[in-house]
Amino acid sequence: MAVYKKTYRPYEGGLTSSWTRFLTIPRYAFEDLHRSRFLTLFFIASFLYPLICALIIYVQHNVSALGLVGVQGANRLISINVTFFMSVLGWQSMLALFLAAFIGPGQVSPDLANNALSLYLARPFSRVEYVLGKLSVLVILMSLMTWVPGLLLFGLEGYLEGFGWMQDNARLAFGLFAGAWIWIAVLALLALALSAWVKWKPVAGALMFGVFFVAAGFGEAVNGVERTKWGHLLNISNLVGSIWLRLFEGDAHTTNGAVFFRVAQGEELPPWCCWTALAALCLVCLYMLARKIRGVEVVR
Amino acid sequence: MSESLVTFNNVSRFYGEVLGINKVSLTIPPGITSLVGPNGSGKTTLMNLMTGLIRPTEGEIRVLGIAPDHPEKLCRLVGYCAQYDAFPKGLTGYQFIYSYLRVFGMGHAECDQRTVAALQMVGLSEAAHRTVAAYSKGMRQRIKLAQAMAHDPQVVVLDEPLNGLDPLARSEAIALFRQWGEKGRHVIVSSHILHEVDQISDQVILLSQGYVVAEGQIQDVRSEVKDQPMQILVRCDRPGMLAARLFQQDHVVEAKIHADGKGLLLRTKDADSFYLLLNRVILDSGLEVESVAPADDDVNSVYQYLIGGEGSAA
Repeated sequence: MAVYKKTYRPYEGGLTSSWTRFLTIPRYAFEDLHRSRFLTLFFIASFLYPLICALIIYVQHNVSALGLVGVQGANRLISINVTFFMSVLGWQSMLALFLAAFIGPGQVSPDLANNALSLYLARPFSRVEYVLGKLSVLVILMSLMTWVPGLLLFGLEGYLEGFGWMQDNARLAFGLFAGAWIWIAVLALLALALSAWVKWKPVAGALMFGVFFVAAGFGEAVNGVERTKWGHLLNISNLVGSIWLRLFEGDAHTTNGAVFFRVAQGEELPPWCCWTALAALCLVCLYMLARKIRGVEVVR
Repeated sequence: MSESLVTFNNVSRFYGEVLGINKVSLTIPPGITSLVGPNGSGKTTLMNLMTGLIRPTEGEIRVLGIAPDHPEKLCRLVGYCAQYDAFPKGLTGYQFIYSYLRVFGMGHAECDQRTVAALQMVGLSEAAHRTVAAYSKGMRQRIKLAQAMAHDPQVVVLDEPLNGLDPLARSEAIALFRQWGEKGRHVIVSSHILHEVDQISDQVILLSQGYVVAEGQIQDVRSEVKDQPMQILVRCDRPGMLAARLFQQDHVVEAKIHADGKGLLLRTKDADSFYLLLNRVILDSGLEVESVAPADDDVNSVYQYLIGGEGSAA
């Protein structure tokens, strides 16, 4: 038997912080997404509505600008209030759903199809870090679409109205931030879970919409047949809308502009039910991910 | 001592009711070790276990003294080249190596330098900025080798690393394995190409149906296979005379004279007695011997004796 002497020197330099290593995953993911012209245009177009809202806020505070174009009293047409901000969040969150349906299915399934998970997991990189890395791609993009423009609009209104307005309406900022994060967490986990289980991207994207729209339709049917409101438990957007109501301290009317997060008067579910249903959904998604995200896929 | 070895102590791994490997006890020293066995014999399971990708159902594994329960330490020591084409979508060769180095926690300059060096090592510097998806099969195989080595691991686990390589690339890869082995690394290779296993291995582990059938240097393994007579090839000027002398011995089972009349292939149950006899014949009759060589102490023969098949592990 040959006797070999260890003659090489392993790496002994400094290491980056272990909790930032999951950011290796989004490093090239954005570059890859940027290659899709459709996604780039969609992402840019998603800022149109916040821009219009910014214009409305500006015009509200510049009556002289309205006078220039001969419009008087327009500042009374739209109020910058809880309904306004909930509409912003509602529209942007709906666009985030489309974004998640487009890019979510492409996150995990290619790695599974190409057996690339062993590449990550044979390194000092855990399954949790892998999922965090993949989630971060969705979370960063959806944040840029939802709470970031929401808070910028809040800041603009506060700047024009004064610091006192910001203090009085701090709940709006909190509602925008927390409300968006709840939606982002649900969407990102669902998108990754479907991506891990459904390898064909169009089907995974369609399932994403199916979970929202088909389940909501079924919930409506349950409500109609049983003359109850508990069918809304199957309607994820309704659950999220109900939670937003509490966060914004609004009432059912204030969700009117929030597109498909609208909550019907008298059909609000108790908050604990909404929280429990969303938590259960997230746990199911995590379980689905835990079953699939493994170094080696064992086929029995 | 165990800190320089890869050890398996009574390790079993079951996938539900399906056996992966069963009661495997092994010690792998530095140098090139080949895992040989038919499909489903447990080679990849063994490799996945030592890289920490799966955990044993029973038993204990130590890689240079570290248990797979400590992936942060273990994964720094191990480089893994999977059997399958394993590439995340859309990355160039450079990005592929660089991003996986970042996972180890090295800084940008270090990763950049190592990426360039790894690509150079496998001869892919010119293709560094092309997407891996556009690489040929051989290039993909080479970039997989590069990613396994880029962080300078002490244990390199290579699952079928010669698949898809053309003869030139094969010999380059084998030269690399030798280089890594000579530097004191553990290079653990699984291969179906038995004559190449023969060329490169310091030791061989033969697996069949989840069990280790034999381990060690191939000549030692061959000499332990007592029920199969040893084949020895003798090139000499009078093979007929030698055959006549040999047939007087009980341990000689068979002797065949070559068609050119210059050689003799014999099968004996006692190689040592044969060598003694040959010396005596040379002294007594002045037999001129050109060469004497065992004809079946290669992996291919041992594989056939112990596992069966047609000379290929595939």
